[in-house]
Order: sequence, then C-alpha cells, then structure tokens
Amino acid sequence: MKSLKLAAVLAGAVMSVGLPARAHHSFATYDRTKTVTIKGTVKSFQWTNPHCVLWVVIQPAAGGDPQEWTIETTSPGVLTRSGWTRHSLNPGDRVSVVFNPLRDGSHGGGLNSVTLLDTGQILSASFGDSEKPELK
Amino acid sequence: MSHRIALGAALLGALLGSGTLAVPAAGTDPVDPAPTRKDYDDLAKLPDWSGVWTPVISDQVAQEKSNPPPWTPAAAKQIKKMYAEEEAGRPFPVIDHCFPTGMPSWMLITHNAFEVLFTPGRVTILGEGDGNRMRRIYTDGRPHPPDPDPSFHGHSVGHWEGQTLLIDTIAVLPEVYLAVNEAVGVPNDGDMHVVERLHLLNSDTLADDLEIRATKILTKPWRTTRKYYRQRSQKYEILEGVCQQGKFMEAKDAAGHDVFVPITFHDNVPIGPASK
Repeated sequence: MKSLKLAAVLAGAVMSVGLPARAHHSFATYDRTKTVTIKGTVKSFQWTNPHCVLWVVIQPAAGGDPQEWTIETTSPGVLTRSGWTRHSLNPGDRVSVVFNPLRDGSHGGGLNSVTLLDTGQILSASFGDSEKPELK
Repeated sequence: MSHRIALGAALLGALLGSGTLAVPAAGTDPVDPAPTRKDYDDLAKLPDWSGVWTPVISDQVAQEKSNPPPWTPAAAKQIKKMYAEEEAGRPFPVIDHCFPTGMPSWMLITHNAFEVLFTPGRVTILGEGDGNRMRRIYTDGRPHPPDPDPSFHGHSVGHWEGQTLLIDTIAVLPEVYLAVNEAVGVPNDGDMHVVERLHLLNSDTLADDLEIRATKILTKPWRTTRKYYRQRSQKYEILEGVCQQGKFMEAKDAAGHDVFVPITFHDNVPIGPASK
C-alpha cells in the first residue's frame, strides 16, 4: 500500500495547484510522473464532449518530417469553467503545449496547459481553480 | 395492472399528498391526466434548484478514500487489483464504452454538470457527458411498476419531505458499474436499490445523500454523500454530450462536405486520425 499512500500524497499535492482534469475515462493511461513540452502549430481543436482534442504539428528539433501530436483534454463544460471557449485555439496558432505523455512513446498525451506563443495567454486544463459556486 | 397495485398507487398518492394523480381505474392501465393550473402553481412551492450544478470533485476524491463502499470480499479483491492497475497506468475502462455511466455512479463520480427540471408530477435531471444522461423521477405518487424494464438509470419514484426530494430507484441494469472513480468499480449484478435525499446544504450547494444496497457486491448498505455547486452564469449552461462524437474528428470529404472521420484509439485514448 506504500505506493498507494504515496499516490494519495502526490494527488493531494497536485490538487493544490490544480488537479489535471479528467472526464469520461481515467487519464491514468497518461504518465503523470512525466511532463513533456512541445512547441508547434495547431492543426485543429475539437470542442466536443466527452473530451476535447488538440492536434498539434511540430517540427522535430533533430530534423525529419513534421510530427502530428494528439493531445486529449477534458470536456467543453469543464474547460469553460476554466475560461476556455471553442475559439480559444485555432488552426495556425503557434503554441507551447505541456502534457503528460503516453507511456509507450506514441505521439499523444493528456493536456496540462497550452500557451499561445503570440499573445502569451495560458490556458489551463485543470478544474481545481473553478471548483466553487457562482463562477463568473 | 392488478387491483392490488392500482389500490397501492391510489393509497401512496393520497399519502404523499401530491396534486394530480395518475390513479388508474381498476383493471385499466394508468393514464397521466392533464396537469391543472394548481399543479403548476404548486411547483412554485418547491425549493429553488435552478441553474446548473457542478460536482465538487475534490470532495469525491476525498470520499473515495475516507468512505469506500463495504465491498464483499470477492468485489474487494477486484477493486484492489483495479487500483493497482490504475496506479500502473493501465486504468480499467469503467465508462469508456460510451454507455451512460448509469445510476448511482453518475451522481458519485461525474465531472460534468447537471440541471434539475420541475414539471407537474415529475422531476427530471439532465446531465452533460455521455449522450443519454437523464433521470426521470416520477413524483405523482405512483409506485414502481411491478416489472420495470431494467435501464442504465433505473426506475425512479420520488416525493418531497419538506424541501428534500426523496428518490427511490430500482431496476438498474445489472451490468451497470458501481464505480468509485473512472477506473475502479464493479458491475452491480442486479437487485440494486438506491435511496437518495437531495437537498440544499446552503443557498448554492446541493447535497445528495445516497444509500446504496447492492447485495451481490456489498456486505451492507453504503451511505455516502456527494455535493454540487450551483452556477447561474449562462456560459456554464449544459452542453450537448454525444459520446460517440468523441471517437471521430472533423474533416472534409472528397466532395468538400464537412464530415466526421474515425479517430484511431490506443488503450482507449486518441492517438491520431484513422489511417487513410
């Protein structure tokens, strides 16, 4: 049970800065012990239940063909409560994306936050800050 | 419908003091009468549950740890394994199949909003998330039918005790999970009975006190509470939730039409467009 206890402590620690949002299925598939940052261009942003998905194209630093990454996040309703709209990300936007990667190295992950590089706006995919009544 | 059941419906209705009653004549199927002006006026006496209710997820997580269900030894063994699998990054797909989460897990583990509608003889709870998240709670005094068709949300009847709505739910499909999170739960295996007391804790917090009896998987009734915060801002109103839509991406077809095309999934998470 040691690892479970540690997980509980970690979960509590994460909670205080904003729990990674989940819906529909467990995000435990993503490796929450690792955080990856990529910079690229938004190919599309799908604003649909049960999960929104961000498709980002990056140019690998080592060269080679552009890579398409699939970054999953929570639902439109949860994101709305964190200040997002369906227009928050648009094709062509230059972004820095922070996420927990898939464990097998596939080009995908669970979103933590996105920074719009042209404006500096940070969009967080956590519900901790929005867990209160009568949000404005 | 038998005479005994018809009489039962009439007596229950009279006891509950509801407005218009669907009291069937003996030997006939019950019919819902047209609501009266008084039935609509009486709705104004009910508590104000308007707005959208968003779950207090941090409290869900806390309760998952502090007040777990009294699992049978067999269920507990499975649950322990599921927690270990979740910890290892192999979460069991409790709700990945795009079926409704169902009762009572929707109320227990949802991350999405719901709203509550009052109409004569019925309370309706509409949720966001998995395509068919809707509870019909009949408050016209009727009993449960003698042999209801099992469903994800079961058959619910309710009545008001002051400002508290008591809900009694049976006939939940045996395949519906009793879940404590999105990766941990077991099917209820049938005969589940859920009693809820929905009430305001304060002006903007709704509480659902649940008592869950599931004799196939629990050693005794499990009592637990979930809380929801009220939102009144229009931007937080319920959005459409069509679960299957999440398995597709928006694209153009050869003729230039807007179409959905399948997404490729790996371990239940999207990893890219389907191979062309």
